[in-house]
Amino acid sequence: MSATHHHHEEQDFLFKYIFSQDHKMISKQFLITGFLMGFIGMVMSTLFRLQLGFPGESFWAIDFFLGSWAENGVMAPDKYLALVTMHGTIMVFFLLTAGLSGTFSNLLIPLQIGARDMASGFLNMLSYWFFFVSTIIMLISLGVEGGSASAGWTIYPPLSALPQAIPGSGLGMTLWLVAMAIFIASSLLGSLNYIVTILNLRTKGMTMTRLPLTIWAFLVTAILGVLSFPVLLSAALLLIFDRSFGTSFYLSDIYIGGQVLEHSGGSPILFEHLFWFLGHPEVYIVLLPALGITSEIVSTMSRKPIFGYRAMVTSILAIAFLSVIVWGHHMFVTGMNPFLGAVFTFTTLLIAIPSAVKVFNYITTLWKGNIIFSPAMLFSIGLVSTFISGGVTGLILGDSALDINIHDTYFVVGHFHIVMGLSAIFGMFAGVYHWFPKMFGRMMNNTIGFFHFWITIVCAYGVFFPMHFLGLAGVPRRYYTNSEFPLFDNMIDINELVTWFAIVAAFAQLLFVFNFFYSALRGPRSSQNPWRANSLEWTAPVEHIHGNWPGEIPEVHRWAYDYSKVDENGEYVSGEDFISQVVPLGPNEKDGGH
Amino acid sequence: MTSIALENNDYKKEIKQKTAKPLLWIGLMSIVMFFAGLTSAVIVSKGTAVWETIQIPSAFAISTVFILLSSLTFYLGERSLKSNQLAKAKLFILATLLLGLLFTVTQYLAWTDLYKNGVVWAGSESSAAGSYFYALTALHLLHLLGGLISLLVVNFKSIKEKYNAENLLGVQLSSTYWHFLTALWVYLYLFLIFIA
Amino acid sequence: MVALVAIVAVLLIVISAVQTLKIAELWAINKGKVIYEVTKKQNKTQALLMLVFLVAYFAFFAWQVWKWGDLMLPVSASEHGVITDRLLNITYAFIIPVFVITHIFLFWFAYKYAYNSNRKAVFFSHSNKLELIWTIIPSIALTVLILFGLSSWNEIMTPVDSEKEHVLIEVQAQQFSWNARYAGTDGKLGRAGVEFIEGVNAMGVDIKDENSKDDKIVRGEIHLPVGVPVQFVFRSIDVIHSAYMPHFRAQMNCVPGVKTQFNFVPTITTEDMKKITNNEDFNYILLCNKICGAAHYNMQMDIIVESKEDYEKWLAEQKQFAEN
Ligand code: HEM
Ligand SMILES: [Cu+2]
Ligand SMILES: [Cu+2]
Repeated sequence: MSATHHHHEEQDFLFKYIFSQDHKMISKQFLITGFLMGFIGMVMSTLFRLQLGFPGESFWAIDFFLGSWAENGVMAPDKYLALVTMHGTIMVFFLLTAGLSGTFSNLLIPLQIGARDMASGFLNMLSYWFFFVSTIIMLISLGVEGGSASAGWTIYPPLSALPQAIPGSGLGMTLWLVAMAIFIASSLLGSLNYIVTILNLRTKGMTMTRLPLTIWAFLVTAILGVLSFPVLLSAALLLIFDRSFGTSFYLSDIYIGGQVLEHSGGSPILFEHLFWFLGHPEVYIVLLPALGITSEIVSTMSRKPIFGYRAMVTSILAIAFLSVIVWGHHMFVTGMNPFLGAVFTFTTLLIAIPSAVKVFNYITTLWKGNIIFSPAMLFSIGLVSTFISGGVTGLILGDSALDINIHDTYFVVGHFHIVMGLSAIFGMFAGVYHWFPKMFGRMMNNTIGFFHFWITIVCAYGVFFPMHFLGLAGVPRRYYTNSEFPLFDNMIDINELVTWFAIVAAFAQLLFVFNFFYSALRGPRSSQNPWRANSLEWTAPVEHIHGNWPGEIPEVHRWAYDYSKVDENGEYVSGEDFISQVVPLGPNEKDGGH
Repeated sequence: MTSIALENNDYKKEIKQKTAKPLLWIGLMSIVMFFAGLTSAVIVSKGTAVWETIQIPSAFAISTVFILLSSLTFYLGERSLKSNQLAKAKLFILATLLLGLLFTVTQYLAWTDLYKNGVVWAGSESSAAGSYFYALTALHLLHLLGGLISLLVVNFKSIKEKYNAENLLGVQLSSTYWHFLTALWVYLYLFLIFIA
Repeated sequence: MVALVAIVAVLLIVISAVQTLKIAELWAINKGKVIYEVTKKQNKTQALLMLVFLVAYFAFFAWQVWKWGDLMLPVSASEHGVITDRLLNITYAFIIPVFVITHIFLFWFAYKYAYNSNRKAVFFSHSNKLELIWTIIPSIALTVLILFGLSSWNEIMTPVDSEKEHVLIEVQAQQFSWNARYAGTDGKLGRAGVEFIEGVNAMGVDIKDENSKDDKIVRGEIHLPVGVPVQFVFRSIDVIHSAYMPHFRAQMNCVPGVKTQFNFVPTITTEDMKKITNNEDFNYILLCNKICGAAHYNMQMDIIVESKEDYEKWLAEQKQFAEN
């Protein structure tokens, strides 16, 4: 009797925590896995920053973490490339695609649209486990003969196709491709669910124009994923055929290791086209959720409606649309037809317009607000700053005539880290601080959050701003060291400074890790609506229940941004500075900020 | 843990009714993008490399007929179900499966034909055009394999008379996917003619 | 042992941090606070930090320009580079003010509108006029940038007119070195391909091709005559490389199986550039700028720009392909 009971509990545990089909649990699984990968990616970057800041010097940390990849505490040149490749892959795909979208789409979509769960809990669970398997394979690839993939996160063939060209293109690259194929499957399963849930399972009254901007961002992100990840899969498949079966889709006229290869008739440029057809939308797959999250937070914490809701939605749509027709800006100097180059310059620079609209709308939302600086709000303001700082340099890179001289230099590294890396990371941190009570029923510590934010933003700019100067001095990226060129001898100071900032930044993240685990286990219990916010998730009980709301799902009567709404006498309509979406409109009230 | 409606079977069914088809449709969209990627790769390659001309095996034409017929029988099967003519439905659905298998066989025949004509998949004798021929058709067949498995399930259930006019979501999903594969094949077939 | 001590030390630090935090929170609760709410004092501090950060950020920017401005590439040594440098400056003139102004607004508003319980936030949810303005102004600015950019781009990418006087050089990349071949007196490059690579014929030039005979293969450095258009043709025999000549604002990928091209007119001799940069050891270089393998970081070739006479003298000393 008691034995069967025990058995039952065990099963319960398995299905509640491991093979859960509940979106809230899956969201936490994505978060933890994503952050773990992000941590590994960060340690990698700190290690190769050590090599760049102090080339050829021996370090205990390098010896400790890299083992056979480094002799006497100095990493080998091809292992530098392996680290850069894995760092890029992990950050872009595992932390900021799966980690970010997986966490917040899962957590917020059902809660904010008023659904009991995702359209298919099973597919959702599958999506997480595919992701998990993919991380494991990617991590295993670090330990194989020849090292992990080393051809850059963009894995351009022939470098990625020929083990003779770099050791990492052996088994390491094969595992990279397998891991990414599984990752793509995971991402597609997730996106399917997000889209269908948003389109089909909204609660009564939740029209598309009443959706919070988070949901709009997740929806468009998922659509971009469904459109572009399959193309990456096709690119990867053809590469797998070339590598393992001897076809010649990407390879032609190659002489390496003393012999002419059999491949003929292929084109490496083809791969670049296919890769960047995903690659550029991927940037927005990373960025849009962060923009959605922070729009929500900026409005809530300014106690003001988001400025220009419709313009914000339109911008998201415009950015997404343009993002699939700009991929060529990564290929200006591949010898592409100059006319095509001109077209891509045009479409690329157009993206600046909706982006600018978003920035101005953020800023106007702050104007005459009543701002509460929670850590989430700090990171959201930080995002606006990084989005501007990184965005303006995009006008330089997107201009083909200017790109000739800075393509593939450190200028690019500075640009994309700020506009994509930092913005998305800030959005993710903001989201965690803000929705932590929704995830764990407890609150994070503000004071530690403040320190975390300020150290992070200062060091982040300290790391990435100087990189623009390196690039303008002609320093190429993906260089193991700059010491082989007398031309770059003066750059060592910059590199050293950057490395110091990177080290401090990395340690500052421990504050967050500590805060996270402390608060999840010991933090003060949260009330149901700690930020006094309007959106639907805060009408659900703190305690997680299967199905989200104990009774009926509440009906929605207004948009999510009725903050500080006053009547003719200048008094708050609801007596408070917020009105939940479930409150019916008053007799003279109009919806949607009119 | 308190559990509400989610455990309720009616509720589950309702959600499934509401979302299964959109899920499939968006899945199909991603398959479209997958083949769009591949076929645009062909076009790019064709523009840059020497392009070998290839004799299209007649077996491909025959398989086109088979798959078109199979779509027709599936459609008729679904219609019979809707009017609760279960016996007729069984036959049509079984025919669909058989035609699908015939399609697979003729695909195989077409490959051996290609091979006999000196079009090889890989290695020094291969050309980009030939490799694409094999890759495109094989990847389509891989997707068709999923369709065949779903057909097996549908057949099994239809023989056991699990479907009727009120309950045919499974059949609808399977047939949507199947018609999609037919359309995809027709597209690929025309495309192959175009690139050969 | 060391590891053990380290683990124990970390554990102790974490435990004491947990305890401190717990005590601090209990203390606050005792004083009747809702401990996770941002206090008035904290909010004020954060608002102030917004201003501090704004100033510090600009100061950091200015400091970098001041400190590292001289390390940037010197004036362009090619004709088209002068134009793109001007375009770059125009772009700066647009983006730096945008960067500064938006940041001032962002952080100033954040500071100014920090929470105050006596005040109500303004319910200001949209304004078609404002939004129209900030859609149209960037559009106009962008149009200018696009037009200027595209006209330069078209000019740069147009190959040298083969009727005009010019130098034709083929540059071949391989892991991890550069080879170069001058077209010789006939002005034509002979056929080449990986299938011809053998022994000393590292560039794989076809000996049977008539045009090859007078081609001149050089290693280690290339010379260019000042003021004469140079037409480069790029090849690679293994992986993708990129021929980057930063002083000439020139870059083009070298792709196996494909020939790419780039051209520019060098305008400043190496000697003159030494004076301009105040550096006796200055040398123009060609470096690899596309990840290509373990020694990607060290794949270079010197470029020497000299007067036409010196250039011709140097070229005359180089052996013709047929002589090898
Ligand atoms: C801890 C903070 C980080 C530091 C110090 C850092 C540093 C670097 C550096 C120096 C490089 C260039 C190496 C080279 O080209 O030789 C690099 C590459 C890269 N980083 Fe980061 N990074 C950090 C965080 C991130 C984040 C958050 C992202 C997410 C977008 C990211 C994405 C990438 C990518 C995609 C590359 C290119 C990899 C490649 O060239 O294949 N990094 N990182
Ligand atoms: Cu892009
Ligand atoms: Cu190279």
